[in-house]
Amino acid sequence: MNGKDRNMEAYIRSVRRRLNLPKAVKDRVISDFISSIEARREAGMSEEAILAELGSPRKAAAELNDQMKEFAFRKSPWRFACLALAVLSGGWLALYRYTIWLGGQLVGVISYHARGSSVGVIGGADGPTAVFVTSQSGVDWDVLLMLLLLAAGVLGYLLLRRCPPKTEE
Amino acid sequence: MEDRFSQQLKKGVLEMLVLKLVCEEPTYGYRLLARLKERSLGRFSLKEGTLYPILYRLEDEGFIAARWSQGQGRTAPKKMYEATEAGREENLRYQLAWREFTECVEEFLKGDGGR
Repeated sequence: MNGKDRNMEAYIRSVRRRLNLPKAVKDRVISDFISSIEARREAGMSEEAILAELGSPRKAAAELNDQMKEFAFRKSPWRFACLALAVLSGGWLALYRYTIWLGGQLVGVISYHARGSSVGVIGGADGPTAVFVTSQSGVDWDVLLMLLLLAAGVLGYLLLRRCPPKTEE
Repeated sequence: MEDRFSQQLKKGVLEMLVLKLVCEEPTYGYRLLARLKERSLGRFSLKEGTLYPILYRLEDEGFIAARWSQGQGRTAPKKMYEATEAGREENLRYQLAWREFTECVEEFLKGDGGR
């Protein structure tokens, strides 16, 4: 293998990387793409002329992506449901932690102001302690469930962005 | 740049022309493009990328099949396409459908004195 071949291989790899297609379709396109290059070479074109005709990897890949739309990855509408799930569970978690923290602050403030009066019953609870106490009190099933839902939502959203194309229209 | 109407027309017949060319002889993408161009007097000059989805549709429907040609001497193997039996039948059906279609459209255009 000489330097020119390596040059061409790097070019093909570069085009391949930029294809927004499922792997099997990528293989298909690239095998035809390589054949095209080989056919040009046999027709007597120089490496330079071939590369000039095909254009930069970015341009060649963009053209292929444009033509291969019907075979491209499809974004499932269900990903929005997953996103909503992630936002809701994430929001719940944030709110939950925040409520505990806020609650702790509030209790501290009340007890501070109430100190010396007859209402001062709830003392000593401050933010960090409250959180610390909650996380120590065994498995928190609510939080665990929400964490799982959050993970499922995020994962679903990411996976459903790259669905294989429909085989039949 | 051609107008949209001509582009749509071309797109419609391309599948038939490609299948016909593959039926004539086993061939590969680059040669198909050259044949299309020369036999249409330059009207059908496309890029490879345009050809791929057409070839893949035909292949997925079982009308053509891909295989790797053996490289002879200094030449490397290339991906060749050849027509299957179903493809040859389909080729005739396409052409029949095309003739019926153009006859119908021609008759339509002749009505009212061809205005």
